[in-house]
Amino acid sequence: MTVMDEVTDHFSAYPDFVNQKLQIAAETLTVTGLKSLINFPQTIYMFRDPLLTSAMNGLELIDVFTSLGQPISVDRNTIITEILDGMLVAVHEASGLVVSIYPVPQPNSRAISLPTMENSIGGANSAFNESLDNNIMMLRSHLNSADLQVKTYEFGNQVKNRVSLCFLDKTIDPMLLQNLKHKLESDPTTEITNMLELSHRLGFTKFTWVTHYMAFELPQNTARALKNGKAVLFIDRLPFSIVLPSLFSDLFMSEDDLNHPPIYSWLMRSLRFLGVMLTLILPGLYVALVSVNPDVLRFELAHSIARSRLDVPYPAVIEALLLLCVLELILEAIIRLPSSIGPTITMVGGIVLGQAVVDAKLVSNLLIIILATTTIANAAVVGYQNTYVLRLFKYLLLFLAAILGVLGIMSGLLIICAYIAGNRTLGIPYLQLIRPKGE
Amino acid sequence: MIRRILIGTFFLLMLSGCWDNKDINHRALPIAMGISFHQGEYKVYLDIPKVSVNNEGIDVVTANGDSISAAVNKISVNMESQVDLLHLKVIVVDEPFAKLGLEEITSNIIRSRHVSPKTMFVISDEPLDRFFTRINNETDGDGKEIYDFFQKDAGWNPEIAHTPVWKVFRSIHSYTNDVVVPIVKSGESTTIESMGSAILKNGRMVSRLNNEQTLFYNVFDGKSLEGKIEIMGHSTVQIVSSSIKNNGRFENNKPVLDSVLKLNVTILDTSGQTSIKDFQTKLKKLLDHEMDQIFQKMKRANADIFGIGQHFRNELPRTELAQWRSKYLPDARINLDIKTTVRNTGNLKLND
Repeated sequence: MTVMDEVTDHFSAYPDFVNQKLQIAAETLTVTGLKSLINFPQTIYMFRDPLLTSAMNGLELIDVFTSLGQPISVDRNTIITEILDGMLVAVHEASGLVVSIYPVPQPNSRAISLPTMENSIGGANSAFNESLDNNIMMLRSHLNSADLQVKTYEFGNQVKNRVSLCFLDKTIDPMLLQNLKHKLESDPTTEITNMLELSHRLGFTKFTWVTHYMAFELPQNTARALKNGKAVLFIDRLPFSIVLPSLFSDLFMSEDDLNHPPIYSWLMRSLRFLGVMLTLILPGLYVALVSVNPDVLRFELAHSIARSRLDVPYPAVIEALLLLCVLELILEAIIRLPSSIGPTITMVGGIVLGQAVVDAKLVSNLLIIILATTTIANAAVVGYQNTYVLRLFKYLLLFLAAILGVLGIMSGLLIICAYIAGNRTLGIPYLQLIRPKGE
Repeated sequence: MIRRILIGTFFLLMLSGCWDNKDINHRALPIAMGISFHQGEYKVYLDIPKVSVNNEGIDVVTANGDSISAAVNKISVNMESQVDLLHLKVIVVDEPFAKLGLEEITSNIIRSRHVSPKTMFVISDEPLDRFFTRINNETDGDGKEIYDFFQKDAGWNPEIAHTPVWKVFRSIHSYTNDVVVPIVKSGESTTIESMGSAILKNGRMVSRLNNEQTLFYNVFDGKSLEGKIEIMGHSTVQIVSSSIKNNGRFENNKPVLDSVLKLNVTILDTSGQTSIKDFQTKLKKLLDHEMDQIFQKMKRANADIFGIGQHFRNELPRTELAQWRSKYLPDARINLDIKTTVRNTGNLKLND
């Protein structure tokens, strides 16, 4: 039994396995591959053409054949791996030479299209998609630099997946690069197909609240991160780039800002900062002012709040939790909903429920305003990963405000500051400025 | 780590007393408190805006007690919500009580910290019973007039003195500072009528100023305001801005204060033909006269409402300073130099 018979035997149960003999002059060639990954008619055409014209040009067929691809060792496992990777494996029957050829692939991802999570107002609009090679192509076209290094790692024993590490040789923080390479190269046998596995591999604790990475769909954001000395990872089949590390400034700064006049981009950044503060503080402030420190309010406001809470049965913190719970449910449900009925549900959830809940005297009018503001402000921050931490931390402030009032908000902010100041990603402090400052 | 968090949470919950927090709609928030004193017993009036859907006016609740806090507590016991004096804006006392002395209640207010030190002190020119019944009996209005009347961004006027509790407290404990507090009564066509102001010396009412004198007091006290001055039978001017510079010195062991008052005024109306020169002299004469009257009044009462003594603090040792009001103030002389600039581009234009 020859090696090729073993390979054919291995793939015998595969409906998409193709094993085709080609007769060119006196020589017999066999091409094998998976037709689900290879566009066979075009590939065979491409493959046959130089062989047919070889005699005319006075070249040896065998030389032309080997120049079509990469000769590989005649070994069962190697050939199987090559075939599974989507390569066309061709065998020269007479000499037994095996060549792995890069074929015309079947299209395996969507075309380059608009981003789904990010929006760009002033900048480029084509987003990364599921194909890793495609993504690196897009990154290269946004960052045409000899410095751009791409290292690809293979992970997994049973299920194989590729992860690419990109960085700019001269700008990247050497400590970051060293840490990252060390972590990635330590164990190639474990799978990395999703963010959790990657986080685990990079040694991030499971109980982290602040995100350690930013996921960008737009190549220009990724290119900016690279220029700022960060590292970028691509996982095959994930339609975004993973930028390490995520810094505090990433909450407020986006590459898109640089396409606007500086004054406006600074104003927008301050607006985002305001959004962060509002979403953190407002629900807590409501509870603090309504139940613990009403003396802070102006009398007119205190009186009108008291009137709006007339028949509300619950203490302010329960009231706020009730409505916050509904809001979180809406936020979560909206992801599952098809976009065709999403707006309807939002309307029902937002307007009808909000109105009804006020009419039923379950919560006060003011709270609806506060929570709507909170939710809107939450979305002002850059990067979807960053909204999670804000959503969570506002509960900390809410509870502390219920216990200690305005003082509680103050101490809560202090706790948050301490927490984020203590965060490090691969040796880079979370509060580091965009670029590290000299000692 | 988890144990540390649990212990921290336990102490946070147990030590904060957070179960005593009352929501804002379960607190009664009085805006004005009336205090009168009869035969060793305080009578406290609380002006509490009703918390109801259609915003229907105000409740006046009263109680007697040996102390103010006892009376307030009595009210709190009998009310459906807890009385919270945090939003108190005005404390009204009647004239007999003011003449008797406000030292005790002022220090109680400041030290207890239940009432904001920014609360206004006001003296009522009529019995408090009548005052509170009448100001809250208006068919129109929402009952919060007494609150708005003293708010600088609402009904306050330069003719009304503006003295928070902390200034009264300061004057009680200071050798060189006395205060004036507004006097009001319930009005005929308006809810409240200003009746000038009272001079408080060490927390005791000793004399009073009328509305116009209060305006001059406010001007001399350096408050930036837009008061209107009527020059008898002649014209009305509006103060646009004012500034004052004081310099204290001793002359033959008697304190002399050199003051330069700069006034920018515009003319609101005049009768007949007048020149600016003429106008300035008349205004100066009027101001000199009025100020002189106020100073005389002040000296008679031995109450340093302008804080003249403040300018001599660096020249007198503390033992001497203690006698400022009795020994030095009656001899004090004030050289008031009034410089008026008539803005001749305002509403009316005068011939030069």
